[in-house]
Amino acid sequence: MSDEAAFLSVSGLRKSYGSREALRGIDLDLQRGEFLCLFGPNGAGKSTLLKIIATLLRPSSGQVKVLDYDLEEHPEQYRSQLGMVSHQSFVYQDLTVLENLEFYAALYGVEQPRERALVLLEQVKLADRYDMLAANLSRGMQQRLTIARALVNDPALLLLDEPYTGLDEHAASVLRDQLQLLHSRKRTIIMVTHNLRRGMESATRLGILTRGELVYLEQKTNVDPTTFEELYFQHLEAV
Amino acid sequence: MSSLRQIKFLLGKDLRIELRKKESLISMAFFGALILVMLNIASGIGKQIDAESGAGILWVAIIFSSVLGLGRVFAREKENGCVAALLLSPITPGEIFAAKAMVNFTLMSLSELVLVPVFYVLFGAQLTAAPLALLPILLLVNLGFSTTGTLISAISAGTRRNEVLLPILLFPLILPLTALAVKATAGAMAAKPLTELLDQLEPMVAFCVIFTAAGYLLFPFAIRED
Repeated sequence: MSDEAAFLSVSGLRKSYGSREALRGIDLDLQRGEFLCLFGPNGAGKSTLLKIIATLLRPSSGQVKVLDYDLEEHPEQYRSQLGMVSHQSFVYQDLTVLENLEFYAALYGVEQPRERALVLLEQVKLADRYDMLAANLSRGMQQRLTIARALVNDPALLLLDEPYTGLDEHAASVLRDQLQLLHSRKRTIIMVTHNLRRGMESATRLGILTRGELVYLEQKTNVDPTTFEELYFQHLEAV
Repeated sequence: MSSLRQIKFLLGKDLRIELRKKESLISMAFFGALILVMLNIASGIGKQIDAESGAGILWVAIIFSSVLGLGRVFAREKENGCVAALLLSPITPGEIFAAKAMVNFTLMSLSELVLVPVFYVLFGAQLTAAPLALLPILLLVNLGFSTTGTLISAISAGTRRNEVLLPILLFPLILPLTALAVKATAGAMAAKPLTELLDQLEPMVAFCVIFTAAGYLLFPFAIRED
């Protein structure tokens, strides 16, 4: 591990919904440019953790610190550098493909929103559908639009919540290419998924979250894939 | 980035969708006109009505029809989690509140461009004042209704029975504003000078200031998941 200050630091993070504890004290440091993939069963607290890091939820206790940003005083500065792919598409059905991306690019203060939108449409292979209403896109195309939307501000930190769920092969390959591109440009990425193969092929660090606790966290270079798989299934069975 | 630019982008997006679909505007104008026609029939076609009754009829049509637009503006943000996308972006909840209130204000004003003439065609022969005298009253009600309605629609949009909860929560809150508006409108229709309407217009201004400030301050709590 590097001695430089962590880009993202999560300490003692807890979140309760009534009497149910979704997160039970998460501690995690990420360096700039790391790609962390968190695995875990349903209800493990993965989405809750991402939502707290994204400032969509407030933790019950503990804190999230991101280098260069004051999340308490100026959360909007932090959010301008944040991208997220969630279970939902975050796309307006009554706007065209181009209008959707242009709107979000403008909202994020991108200098030339239309140009940025057109570049992204090329990257996700939707350039020929730019004037279609999002509602009229096929599911796979909507998913590619969702990926483009998350990248509209060229985020320093990208959060991905089960991004491969329901993706067709084309959209999955577009996502994989975009993630590799972002990673090569030192963007920090956190992905939560059930998909061991997809998660392990891209990540530089692997973790397992069960019952609100981070029970395993290791650099991928130190992990034997077969051993990790066995360990993961042991945790699944324990749940 | 400046707040005004952020508000402009969000407002522009909502108005673009509304102009493309016209679903809120058409339903508001049609429903309001339908109420006016029904009340015209109920009060007796061509029968003389006084200014107080006329004012009540006009505001029943405007307020009830405007709720349709309020619900739709926020429901659109809930589709596909777009409200979360806004909260993830650099826009502040206060800016979202301002943009949504402006959308509601615009929709309400546009539907009134239809409803006030319809009202005057159906009832106007018995009323003395020119429609222009209603302008300050309409603007104040639109402002108070839009800001209060934006807050309440954000609260109710997070519930399963959005369409039921919205009017139940909203109407009691805007009752003082509506009562003042009916009285001021009756005065305007009876051709009273503006100075005589100040007893109603001043508290209406106070209502707008208080509820706009309250809406702005409470909106971040209404819109967030936690």
